[in-house]
Amino acid sequence: MSAAERSVPGPLLELEGVHKRYAMGKQGVDALRGIDLRIQTGELVAIMGPSGSGKTTLMEILGCLSRPTSGGYRMAGRRIAEIDSDGLAKLRGERIGFVFQSFNLLPRLTVVENVELPLAYRQVSRSERRERALASLDRVGLGHRAQHLPMEVSGGERQRVAIARALVNHPSLVLADEPTGNLDSQTGGGILALLHSVHAEGNTVVIVTHDAAIGAQAQRQIFLRDGRIESDETAAKPMDSARLPLETAD
Amino acid sequence: MLLLEAVRQALRLLWAHRLRSLLTLFGLAWGTASVIFLVGWGEGVQVMLERGFFKAGKNMGEVWAGRVSEEFTPAVDRRYLWWTIDDVDLLRRRAKLPELIGAESWEMLPAAFGPRAINVDVRGLDPEAMAVRGVALAAGRGITREDVEHRRRIVVLGDKVRTRLLGVDGGLGSWIRIAGKPFKVVGLLEHVGTQLSRDRLEIDEHAWIPISTMQANWPRWWTDEFVVSKIIYRLRDRRLMEDTEREVRAILAGRLGVASDDIEAVGIWSSLKLLNKLPIDQTQGLMFVLATATLVIGGIGVLNMMLDAVHERRQEIGVRLAIGARRRDIIVQFFIETFTIALAGGLVGAAFGVAGCALFASFELPDFLPVPLLSLRVVALALGVLSCVALAAGVIPAWRAARIDPALTLRME
Repeated sequence: MSAAERSVPGPLLELEGVHKRYAMGKQGVDALRGIDLRIQTGELVAIMGPSGSGKTTLMEILGCLSRPTSGGYRMAGRRIAEIDSDGLAKLRGERIGFVFQSFNLLPRLTVVENVELPLAYRQVSRSERRERALASLDRVGLGHRAQHLPMEVSGGERQRVAIARALVNHPSLVLADEPTGNLDSQTGGGILALLHSVHAEGNTVVIVTHDAAIGAQAQRQIFLRDGRIESDETAAKPMDSARLPLETAD
Repeated sequence: MLLLEAVRQALRLLWAHRLRSLLTLFGLAWGTASVIFLVGWGEGVQVMLERGFFKAGKNMGEVWAGRVSEEFTPAVDRRYLWWTIDDVDLLRRRAKLPELIGAESWEMLPAAFGPRAINVDVRGLDPEAMAVRGVALAAGRGITREDVEHRRRIVVLGDKVRTRLLGVDGGLGSWIRIAGKPFKVVGLLEHVGTQLSRDRLEIDEHAWIPISTMQANWPRWWTDEFVVSKIIYRLRDRRLMEDTEREVRAILAGRLGVASDDIEAVGIWSSLKLLNKLPIDQTQGLMFVLATATLVIGGIGVLNMMLDAVHERRQEIGVRLAIGARRRDIIVQFFIETFTIALAGGLVGAAFGVAGCALFASFELPDFLPVPLLSLRVVALALGVLSCVALAAGVIPAWRAARIDPALTLRME
């Protein structure tokens, strides 16, 4: 992956008529009912909505954790439908960083081992892994906690570790699912500030939240209801005019 | 890192649930130890039997003269038959298959040394017969061709006869009396021990003298011929046992004028035949199957434990998948974990099995008791079976783990 690849013209994420149906009983449940969405490289997007609106399902699909039942999804111009499951794993490992509500660190690995894990699945050498993991921990201000176990650090620090893990591969996209949901408001504020600074470095950040206050800090807010986009508002800032959706060449 | 991590993870899992691990691994350990111990024991039985049967002579065949069988003659005319030294000579000239042919005669006679007197199984042997018996000399020499030619009054004593008759007073060069006649002790036999096949007394209770001396001093009352009680031969090759018997019987039957398949007239006994009939391999096979069944049951325990582990750790698996692990990475991880756990149990079992064998070997047991034999082959076999069980036990958990939906990580908040 390279700067050239990152700067491919066109949206980073592109959804067209995405439906997702879960088999449940005889009828099934429609979690998403036709989502059209484009997210440009470098955007900070908040996806909001009440429970059951399809936020999490949309997050799964954006994160290539599951595939749409119908409709098309492209990431950096590549059709997800054409990629096999190993390919998706590679894509997740290289281009997507996840931040979860409950941190999802592996309890038996040290902090630095947790941060190294995505690199381990990419056959990065031991020394380079450690080096990059420590750099990433420094980035979130936790270099001194490297050898601790997740249990030995505070909730906010755990989420920082998770962010360090998400950033260690220099992904194009950081997906955060209720990143402050398990934290008090002050700690949560720190995490949000960190995500904003991650965004400021040029990363695309998508935050799923039901908290309107968090959403309000994002440039772009997407509201879901009953599996459809109810509204998609971009804060009127001058810098955003340059990021209006462009028609792609293909 | 991932390989190492999986191994570490397995050991952590074992340590975290110590009691469960102990119970789970018990089956595997027991099974592995059983394979080593029982298969080793089977080998021990085989060795013990061979040793026991071959103490009287390795791969030895013994030929008796009996009576003409009723099948071949009217009952009134059932002659008693015996061998003479000429029959042995003829057999030596004509028989191609036996490696060595010896002649043996016997009498139970009183032997005396100083004030002591005991009854001894006195055997007249020629040098070939001595070679077929194959008993090592503890001291002195054996019976030579010259001894036979000159009908020397010399004697080679079995181990028990030496201790009982000579005691501490006598030894090589002592003179003993056999049925009143003086014999010089020229050789002492090594201790032979319990024989599983024997004729009359055991070799330890024999006194061996030249066969010609036997004939000269104690001829048979019914004939002047040089009578031989028994012809013994050694097989060139175990696989030729049947052919050798047929050849020997045909030659001797022709000599006696009886049918060549009259097994009553020409009786042949060999411990190898009995040994071959014993279901040693089958017994060993059965033990292997039983021990393996224990291992399989142990494997099911591990399987169960790992299924539990997969269920408990589905969140972790989801995270791994989300951050870039492929399904095959997860499969490999759980395979290695299962394998490590099973191997831990197996190694403990192997240690116990080996220790058990060593313990038995360290005891001074009577030589007719089988001792489990420890061989690299048996240990390798046990660990091989263990590996198969471990691999089999790993399949389902690994498959389950790999099928976990990574989207789970978002749903299990």
